[in-house]
Amino acid sequence: MVISEQGRAAIQKEMARYPEKRGALLPALYIVQREKGHVDRETAIALAELFEVRPIEVLEVITFYNMFYDRPQGRHHVHVCTNLPCSLRGARSLLRELEAHLGIHAGETTADGRITLGHEECLGACAYAPMMRVDESYHEDLDAAQAKSILDGLE
Amino acid sequence: MSKIWVTSYLTEHSGDDAFVTLSGYRARGGYEAARKALTQMSPDEVTEAVKDAGLQGRGGAGFSAGLKWSFMPKDTDKPKYLVCNADESEPGSFKDRLLLERTPHQMLEGILIAAWATGAEKTFVYVRGEYAEPGRIVERAIEEAYAEGVLGEKVLGTDFRHDVVLTYGAGAYICGEETGLLESLEGKKGQPRKKPPFPAQYGAFGMPTTVNNVETFCHVPHIVRHGPDWFREFGTEKSPGTTLFGVSGHVKRPGLYELPLGTRLDEIVFQHAGGPPEGRKVKGVIPGGMSMPILPASQLDVPMANEFLRERKTMLGTGGIMVMDDTTCMVRVASVVTYFFRDESCGQCTQCREGTGWMHKIVQRIERGAGAREDLDVLLDVAGKMEGQTICAFADAAAWPVQGLLRHFREDFEAHVEHKKCPFPESFEL
Amino acid sequence: MRITVDGREYEVESGRTILQALDDLGLLMSEVDIPHYCWHPKLSIDGSCRLCQVEVEGIPKLQIACNTLVQDGMVVRTQNERVQRAREGVMELLLVNHPLDCPICDQAGECKLQDYAFEYGVPHARTKEPRRALKKRVDLGPTILLDQERCILCRRCVRFCCEVPETGELGVFARGDRSVLDTFPGMELDNPYSMNVADICPVGALTTKDFRFKIRVWFLEDVPGVCTGCANGCNVHLGVANNKVYRYVPRRNDAVNETWICDAGRLSYREIGAPDRLQHPQVRGADGRLAVVPLADAIAAAAGRLRKTLDGHGPGAVAALASPHATNEDLFVLRRLLAALGAETAGFAVVRGEADALLVKQEKAANAAGARALGFGDAASVLERVRSRDVRALVALGHDVLGAGHLHGDLSALAGLETVIWLDTHRAALESAAHVVIPVRHAAEKDGTLTNHAGRVQRVRPAVEPAFEARSEGEVLWRLGAELGLDGFEGGYDVRAVSKALAEAVPAFRGLDLDAVGEGGAPLHGADA
Repeated sequence: MVISEQGRAAIQKEMARYPEKRGALLPALYIVQREKGHVDRETAIALAELFEVRPIEVLEVITFYNMFYDRPQGRHHVHVCTNLPCSLRGARSLLRELEAHLGIHAGETTADGRITLGHEECLGACAYAPMMRVDESYHEDLDAAQAKSILDGLE
Repeated sequence: MSKIWVTSYLTEHSGDDAFVTLSGYRARGGYEAARKALTQMSPDEVTEAVKDAGLQGRGGAGFSAGLKWSFMPKDTDKPKYLVCNADESEPGSFKDRLLLERTPHQMLEGILIAAWATGAEKTFVYVRGEYAEPGRIVERAIEEAYAEGVLGEKVLGTDFRHDVVLTYGAGAYICGEETGLLESLEGKKGQPRKKPPFPAQYGAFGMPTTVNNVETFCHVPHIVRHGPDWFREFGTEKSPGTTLFGVSGHVKRPGLYELPLGTRLDEIVFQHAGGPPEGRKVKGVIPGGMSMPILPASQLDVPMANEFLRERKTMLGTGGIMVMDDTTCMVRVASVVTYFFRDESCGQCTQCREGTGWMHKIVQRIERGAGAREDLDVLLDVAGKMEGQTICAFADAAAWPVQGLLRHFREDFEAHVEHKKCPFPESFEL
Repeated sequence: MRITVDGREYEVESGRTILQALDDLGLLMSEVDIPHYCWHPKLSIDGSCRLCQVEVEGIPKLQIACNTLVQDGMVVRTQNERVQRAREGVMELLLVNHPLDCPICDQAGECKLQDYAFEYGVPHARTKEPRRALKKRVDLGPTILLDQERCILCRRCVRFCCEVPETGELGVFARGDRSVLDTFPGMELDNPYSMNVADICPVGALTTKDFRFKIRVWFLEDVPGVCTGCANGCNVHLGVANNKVYRYVPRRNDAVNETWICDAGRLSYREIGAPDRLQHPQVRGADGRLAVVPLADAIAAAAGRLRKTLDGHGPGAVAALASPHATNEDLFVLRRLLAALGAETAGFAVVRGEADALLVKQEKAANAAGARALGFGDAASVLERVRSRDVRALVALGHDVLGAGHLHGDLSALAGLETVIWLDTHRAALESAAHVVIPVRHAAEKDGTLTNHAGRVQRVRPAVEPAFEARSEGEVLWRLGAELGLDGFEGGYDVRAVSKALAEAVPAFRGLDLDAVGEGGAPLHGADA
C-alpha cells in the first residue's frame, strides 16, 4: 500500500476536523511526507483517491507550497533564512560557509542523503539573525562554527 | 526563544513560564474577560466595545476589528467561523511568534470573545508551517482548554459552544492574505479570491467568516476587561493601544518592544533598540515589514501610527522595523526585496506574476553593474503598473518598497549604473 | 436595470457582471471594446488576467468588468486614458516572458496577444532580461500540443476541462513567474471535447495536432455552417482555402452548442474531401457491371427503369429511402417526387451510436429530425414491402439503412428489386445492389437547411465545390422528375424556390426558408428548440 495503515488512519482523523474533508489535504501531505520524505507520484494518486479529487489537484498543491516536495529529499532539511533582516546580519555569508562545509549548493542534497540545504524566506526570527531552521527547530543568533557543529550532529 | 525588551499589557507576563499554562494564565486573571463577555454582555455590546476602543487589526492592513466583526451576518442559519491568522510571514515581523509561544491562552481568550460577538461556532487557527514549535505550544493550550471546559460544548460553564481547530500552512507568504489563507485552509493552492464575495459572506468552506491576526485577538480580552476608555489611554486618538514592534537589522538591541502606537520611530530605533553599531549611522529604516516603503534617516521623527506614516508615504504594516546602517547598499536591499516578492507571488494576476519577476531581474542587473539609467524609470514604471490593479494587495506590497527605495535612495542605483559595480564595499553580502 | 457605458445607456439584467451583461446584448467587442483573456462567456469567472479593467463611477480603483456586478444607474467608462494605461500595462507585462515567436507560431493571425498588443498596447515589452525558457512542444495527448513559453496562464483551458467535459486534466504547477501549465505526469489530455482548448486558448500555447502548420489562418475564409456528425447540429465555421475545408471550429450558438464542439464532430470535416467520396455516376449494364456515365445519362437511365416499374406494377411498386444527411430541401423534393408518382412507400433509417450529456446525440446524422418533420417514417416498413416483393423499384438516398440494422448486414433482401437507384456522398456496400449510382453533394457543398434533434432549422451553404460532377439530392431528384415528365418539376432546379415552397407547404416549416432562418437557425413550429 502506498500510504501506510497508520497514515491512512491519521488522515481520516484529520478529515473529521474540517467541514469538508479536502480541508485536511495539507495535514495529509505532512503525514505522508513524514513517512517518505516527499510525496511521489503514486502517493499523490493515492491521496487523490482518499480525498476524491484528481491527482493533478494534489500535485498543484504540492508544487505551490515550499514545504511539500515532489521528489526525494535529504533526511534533514537545513534552511538558512536569507531575507533582509537576516542578510543584514550575515546570513548569506553563513549560507556560503555551510555550502562549502557540506560541499553542495543551496537546493542540493549531500551525496549520503543526509542533508538538503536551502535558503528560505523570512522565518520570523528577524531579531535573532542569522538563523536556520533544521527540520522543525529554529537555531538562532548563529555563527558559522555553531551552525557547522549543528549540521555535524545530524544523523 | 523570542525575547522582549519593553512590555505592556500584552506581554506583561510573557517571561513567565507558568503563564503558558491554563492554570498560570487563570492565576493572573485569565479568562475572566471571556466570562464577563459571555455572561454579562450581549454579542453586540462586545462588538461595540471593540469598535469604541478603536482596535485596528494588527496583521498589516489596520482595518477596524470591531467593524469587521459587525459585517458578519446575523440572520443566517449557516455556521459561522473565525479564523486566527497565525501565518506570520511578513519579513521583519516576529511578534505573533512570541504571542503564540508565550501567551497562547491570551489568544484563545480573545478568540472566545470574538466568537461570542460574531456568533461563530468554530475557529481555525492557521499557523504557518515553519512555526511547528510555537504551533505545538498552542496545540497544548487548546487541549488544556478543552480539558478544563474553556473550549467545547459549554464554554466556561455557559451554554455557548465553541471549537478551535489548529492547522498548519506549508510555506507560502501569500497565505497571510486572508482569502489566500481561506483557500489554503480548504486544502487548495493559496491563491487569493477575487472580491466580492467578501469572507463575511463567503469565507472558509463557503461560510460567513471573519479573519483576524493573532495580536488582534490578544488585545481583545484587555478591552473587555478594562473597557474602551482604558484601551484608548494607550496610543494615539486614531490608533489606540499598544503594539509589538519588532526591531531587526543594524541595531544594538534587536528584539520586540511593546509600545503604544504613536511612539516615535527614532525613539524606538535609537533609544529602545540602542541605535546602530558603534561608528555607524542609520541610512534608512523600513517601518512596518518589507511591504512598506523605506524611510531615510532624515525622516525618522515620525510617530508610528498610520495617520502620521501615511504623510511620509509609508505605513505601519505589521510594525516590523528593519534598520539599515550606512554600510548598506540599497540596491542590494532592493534585490532581496524583489527576490522575495518574486518568489512569493501566487502567480494569478498578470501584473504581479510578471511584474515581480521583471523588477527582480532589472534590480539584479543593476546590482551587477550592467544597468542603464533608463532602467530606473522602467523599474518605477513597472511598479506603477502593478499598483492597485490586482486581486489582492500583494502586488502593491511588491511595488511600494521598490518605489520607496527609488524615492529616497535613487543615488545608490545611479552610482551602480555609473561605476558599473556596487560602490558599497562594506555592504552586507548578497 | 439601466447602465451607462461610454455615454450610451443599456437595459441589462440584474445579477450579471458588466462583461456578461454586454455579452448578453451581443455588444462585447463590437459596440463596446473591453479586451479580456481569462474571461470566457461559458466558463466560470477567474478575474486574474486583469485586462478587462474599466472605470466605474464612484469607485476609486479600476474594476475588472468580468467580476463587477451591474448596478442600476452604474456609469462605466471603457476608453479613457486611465483605462488605456492599465491595458497597456497588462499587455506589456504579458509580453515580458512571451517568446515573440509569431513568425513560427501557428496562432498568428488569430492570436489575441497579437491583436490586443497591436490595438491596446505596445508591440513588445521593454525588457532586456532573458525570457523564461520552458518546454516548447509538450505532447499533451492524442489531440493537443502545448508550448509552455507562449502560455499566458489565463487558465481558460484548466477551467474548461474541469467545467465542461469535467475531466480536469490540466493544471498549473508551482507559483509566481515559475507557474506552468501541464498535465499530471503520465496522464493525458484525452476527452471527447479536448480540442476546444485550442479554440479558447487566446495565444498559441495550445494547438491541435490536426490543424497545426497546415495553413496560415489568414488564408482561410470562414464559412458559417453546421457540423453533420450527429443530430445536434453544432454550429461551425468551415475554414476554407483553395476549395478545400481545412478545419471546423465551433461557431457560438447558445441554443445549440454554446461555443463548443466535440472532437469527433470537429474532425468530421475530413469526410468532405475523403478519398471514398462517390465521384462518378454509374449505370449497371447488361453485363451486370457498373459503368461510368455522364450524369444526364444516369438520370435518363434511372427514369427509364422507374418508368418500366410504374408501367409494369403501378406506383405502389416504387418506394424510397430518405437520407437523414440530406437537407430539408432535398427531402422535400423527394416528397414531391413520390407524390407526383403516386408512390406511398417511403421511410428513412439513421445510424445510432453513443450519446453524452453535453452535445453528442445518438443519431449520427444531421437531419433525421427534418426527415421526420417531412413525414418520413421508419425504413422498416419500406424494407418489409421490399421483402414481400410489393416494391419493385427503390430510390435510396444515402446508406444509413446499412448501419442502422434494418438489413442485418444482408443485402440479399434487395436482390428481388428490379431497380435500385442510389444517391450518396460516399462509397458504400449498397453499390453492389444498385443499378444506377449517382454521387451527390455533402452539406458543405450546397445550399439548404438541416433540422437538428431539437427541431432547430439551420442553414448550410456551399463552402467548397466538389472536384467531380455531383449535384444535391434535390437537384438530382428534380431532374429525374423532369425526365419522367412529372408535374411540378418544370424549369431548372432552384433551391431557393424549393425552400420557399417547403416553407409554404409544410406547416412545421412555415416561414423557415433558407434565407429566413438566419445564422443562428430557428425552431420548427411546435419544437422547443
